[in-house]
Amino acid sequence: MSVIAPKFKLSEFIKSLLDNIFWIMLLLTFVGLPAVQIVLFYIEMPVIHGELLTPFLAFTWLADPTRILPVVHAFMATDLFRIAAFPGFGFAALLAAGTIFVERKMLAKLQLRVGPFYCGKIEGILQLMGDGLKLISKEIIIPAKADKPIFWAAPVMFVGAAAAFVALIPVAPGWVVADIDMGLLAVFAVIGFFPIITILSAWSANSKFPFIGGIRALFQMVSFEIPLILSLLGVVIVTGTLNLSEISASQSFFPWIIFLPVGAIVFFITMLAELERIPFDLPEAESEIVAGWLTEFSGMMYGLVQLGTYLKLYAFAALFVVLFLGGWNGPMVVPPFPEEFLVGVEMGPVKVGPFPGLPLFDQAMLNGTLWFVIKTVGVIFFILLPRGVFPRIRIDMLLNLGWTKLIGLAFVNIFIALALLYAGVLGPGGLQ
Amino acid sequence: MSSDSEKPTADAKPEAKPAAKPAPKPAAKKPEEKPVELPAFEKGISDKLVEKFADKVEVAFVKEDRVRINVSKENVHEVAEFVRDGLNYDHVESVTGVDFPADKEIEVVYHIGSYSDSSLGRQILVLATRAPREDNPIPGQDSTKLPSLRDVFYSVEFGEREVFEMLGVYFEGHPDNRRLLLPEDWADLPPLRKDFAIKGR
Amino acid sequence: MTAELPPGLALQKVDERIMTLNVGPQHPGSGHMRIVVQIDGDYIVACDPDPGYVHRGEEKMAEYRNYITNIPHLERPVIHDSCNVLYPYVLGAEEILGIEVSERAKYVRVIASELNRCIYTMYWLAIYGIFLGHSTMFMWPAGDRELLIDLMEKMTGARVTHAHFVPGGVRNDLPPNFEDVCLRQVNYFEKRIKEYAAVFYDNPILISRTRDTGVLSRQDAIRLGTTGSVLRASGVDYDLRVKEPYDVYDELDVHTNVMKEGDSYARSRVPWLDMMESCNIIRQALQKMPKSGSVRTKLKPNPKTKGPETVYKRVESGRGSLGCYIVSDGKPEPYRVKMSVGSFRNLIALPYLLKGEKLGNMPSVYWSLNYWPVEADR
Repeated sequence: MSVIAPKFKLSEFIKSLLDNIFWIMLLLTFVGLPAVQIVLFYIEMPVIHGELLTPFLAFTWLADPTRILPVVHAFMATDLFRIAAFPGFGFAALLAAGTIFVERKMLAKLQLRVGPFYCGKIEGILQLMGDGLKLISKEIIIPAKADKPIFWAAPVMFVGAAAAFVALIPVAPGWVVADIDMGLLAVFAVIGFFPIITILSAWSANSKFPFIGGIRALFQMVSFEIPLILSLLGVVIVTGTLNLSEISASQSFFPWIIFLPVGAIVFFITMLAELERIPFDLPEAESEIVAGWLTEFSGMMYGLVQLGTYLKLYAFAALFVVLFLGGWNGPMVVPPFPEEFLVGVEMGPVKVGPFPGLPLFDQAMLNGTLWFVIKTVGVIFFILLPRGVFPRIRIDMLLNLGWTKLIGLAFVNIFIALALLYAGVLGPGGLQ
Repeated sequence: MSSDSEKPTADAKPEAKPAAKPAPKPAAKKPEEKPVELPAFEKGISDKLVEKFADKVEVAFVKEDRVRINVSKENVHEVAEFVRDGLNYDHVESVTGVDFPADKEIEVVYHIGSYSDSSLGRQILVLATRAPREDNPIPGQDSTKLPSLRDVFYSVEFGEREVFEMLGVYFEGHPDNRRLLLPEDWADLPPLRKDFAIKGR
Repeated sequence: MTAELPPGLALQKVDERIMTLNVGPQHPGSGHMRIVVQIDGDYIVACDPDPGYVHRGEEKMAEYRNYITNIPHLERPVIHDSCNVLYPYVLGAEEILGIEVSERAKYVRVIASELNRCIYTMYWLAIYGIFLGHSTMFMWPAGDRELLIDLMEKMTGARVTHAHFVPGGVRNDLPPNFEDVCLRQVNYFEKRIKEYAAVFYDNPILISRTRDTGVLSRQDAIRLGTTGSVLRASGVDYDLRVKEPYDVYDELDVHTNVMKEGDSYARSRVPWLDMMESCNIIRQALQKMPKSGSVRTKLKPNPKTKGPETVYKRVESGRGSLGCYIVSDGKPEPYRVKMSVGSFRNLIALPYLLKGEKLGNMPSVYWSLNYWPVEADR
C-alpha cells in the first residue's frame, strides 16, 4: 500500500481531537459536576460571615475566592481526605515515588554511573512518570491457562493490603487514618495477607517460575513473620499498649531504640526479608527463576505490584520509626503561624485579609510530620543501601537465619524488655 | 613449579626444547636435518607405542611436541587404553571429524593431552582412526560406526556427540548419542560432510 | 509414529515429584543456551545442557575461505576475547604458509592478547556479579573494562572485533606514544581491580554462598578434561603460557595462579588473580619489546601453502586452552578447521557439578565454569 492509511490523515487527527474534547465536556457536565456536588453534600460545611455554606453556595467560590480556604479546610477534616490524601494513600505514594527516584540515583552513584538523566531536565526527575506512562500503555498479557479472576485480582489485592498497612501508621499527633486500640495487632494481620496474595497470584499464573517464586515468598515471609512479631513484643511490653499513636507518644523523651537495640536490629533484618529487598530478594531472583512470582505480570499489573511494593516499603520504614525512633517526636523547629494573617495584613494603603480558614495545619502537626518524614527517609535510605553492597543469599541460608538466629535474638530482646520493666528502669516509677 | 619435580628423569628433555624452539633460524635448516634427527622425547613415546602394538599402529609423524598415530577402527579402543594406562595421558582436548569423500572414509582425530604428568605438559598425542563413509547417510543406522572412547577418556563425551551430529559417525558404546548443537529436528545431511554445500558458495 | 522419533525428541517418563525447568535460552540466567534442569523441591536431580542456540557453523565457513579471509569470522565466537580466539589459528596458518614473524610483532601480540584476556574476564566478572544479584559488581567491571577497550581501540582501531592478528604478525604497528598510555592505564586498571576484593571477593555473604558449592576435585577436573581457570581452581598447575610457551611467553615471567578448593568461589577468584598477572605480563612485555621494527610480513592476497599438512596449535585464552586443528590439502583454503575451545570442554562438568546441588546455586556454579555459550557453539 502506497497511500497513507486513512487513520493517519490530518483530517482524521483533527476529528479525533474534536471527538475527545466533546466527550470530555460531556462527561464533565454529566458526571464531574454531580460528583463534586455529592462530595460537598457529605462534607460538614463551615460557617462564613455568619452564614452556613451550602453546597450550592460553595460553588460560588469562583466568584468569591475567600470561600475556597474554608471549603478546603472542611474537606481536610473528612475521612475521605485522610484515606486518599494526607496520612493515607496519596502521602504514602508520594514518598514511595521519591523512594524510587532516590533509590535509582543513589544506586547509580554507588555504581559509578549517572542513573536517570534526561527525562525532566533536572537529573531525570520525571523518569518515574515516564515509566508509569509506559507501563499504562503496554498490553496486558494473561497466560492462557491462568486462573484469570484470581490472577487479575492479585495486583489489586496487593496494593489494597499495602494501603491498609499504610492506613495504620500515625504520621502526626491525631493524623492517622485508622486510630484503633489494637493497632499493632492489625499490622500483624495485614502483614499476614502478603504471603497469601503472593502464593495466590503465583499459583493462579499456572507457570513454573512464578510458582517456584511464590513458594519461596511463602517460605520467606512465613518464617520471618515470627521473629518480626516477637521483636516488636519488647516495645509492647515496655509501653503496655498496642495503639501505635500511644506508642509514638510514649517516646517523647527518648526513642525505644536506646533500650531495645536488639529488637530494632531483628526488626530491621526481618523487614528487609518481608520487603524482598536484596540480599533477601529470593522470590524475585532473576538469574534463577526469571522474575519469580512477578514473571507473568505485564503492563500496569506489574506497575501495580511495584506500587504496592514501594507502599509496603514506606509502611515498614514508618513502622520502624513509630516503634523505635520516636515517631513524630522531635524538637519544635516549625515557626508558629504568623498572627497577622488571621486579622489581615496592611500593605501600605491596601489591607489584605483576614483570611478565613487559616491556618490550614497547626504547628504541632507540621512539626510532627517534618520529623516523621525525616526519620522515615533515613530508614528508607538504610533499607536501600544493601542493594548496592550485598549479593543475594540462598533459601536454605535464609531459613536458617530466620528460624534459629533471629528468633533467638528476638527472645533476648523480650528478656531485656522484661528486665528493664522489673528492675524499675522503665514503666511506673521509672524514667517514664 | 613444584609439580615439575615429580619426575626428575623426564625433566631434562622438556627443559632442553624451549631453548631450541624460539630461535627462528634453525627452522630454515630443519628440512635437511629432519629425517636424521627426530625429537628424542617424542620419539620415545612413539617407540613405546610401536613396541607394544607393532604394525597395528602407524606412526604418521613425530614433530616437536606432537606425535601422530593412525590406528584402524578395530584397534583404537585397545590403543587408547594403553595411551591412558601406559603413557600417562589423561584427557582428550578435542575430537575432530574430517570427511574424505575421495577415500570413502571419515577420519576421527583425538588430540590427547596430559595434566597429571608434568613432563607431558606440552605434548599432544594425535590418535586418528577412520570409519567407512556412505554417500546416503542415515546417521546411527548405517555402517559409519566407530567404538566410543568414552569409557577410556570421560572427556570425549561431548566431542563424540558433536562428531555424531556433524559427520554422522555413530559411536558404539556411547551412553548418550543425542544431538548437541544442531536442532533436534535437523533432517538434512550431517553438515560438516563435504557434500553439504553452503548456499551461494 | 512415536517409535520413529529421533533420540533427542523421545518423551521421558518422569516422577511426579520432579519438575522439569527449561532454563534458557530466553532466561536472564542462562546466556544463549538451554539448560534442562530437573528439580525435586529445591534440589537439582538431573541437568542436561543443550548448547547450540547460537551455532553458526564457523568451521564449515572456514572451509570456503582462504587463510586470510578466515580471520574476521573466526574471531566471532568470543568478540570480547577476539585476539585470543584468533591466536591459535594464526599460529597454525603461519606454520602451514611458512611465514616468519618478527620479534616486535610477537610482543605486540602478547600485549594485545593479555589486554583481551582482561577485557573478557571483566565482562565475565560483570555477569558473574549480576548472576549473584550483586548489581554493583555488574557495573564496576563493565565500566572499568572501557579503559582497556580504549587501549585496544588505539592499537587496532576497533573496540571489540579487532581482527588484528594476521599470519605474519599483526595488522598495524602500535600508534605513537602507545607504551606510555598503556602503562598508565594498566597501572590504574590494576589498582581498580584490587578494590573489587572489598566489595565482592571478601564479601561475607558471597563467601558463605559460594564456598563448598559445586566442588570439583582434582581427579575429576583431570578426568573430565576441564581447562583454564576451572582446572587451576581445582589445584592443577597447568597454564599453556608456562607449559607450552608460544611466541615470546618463554621470555616473560608468568606466574600461574592455582587454588586448591575447587569450589565456585575458587573458580571465580582465579580469573581475577589472572587479570593481575596479565597486568604484570603487559608491563614486562612493554619493557622488553623492541622499540622499532617491522610488525608484519606481507603476504599475497591468496597465499600458497607448502603442501598437505596437519597442524594443531593451542594457546591459553581467557577460558582456558584453545586449540586449533587445521588440515591443509595444499589448496589456498584450509580443508578443515576445528576449534577446540575451553568453553566446550568445561561444559562437560556442568551436569556433573549441578547434580544434587540446590537450585539457588545453579547460576553461580554455571557461570563459575567460565563458560561462554557463543564460543562453545561456534
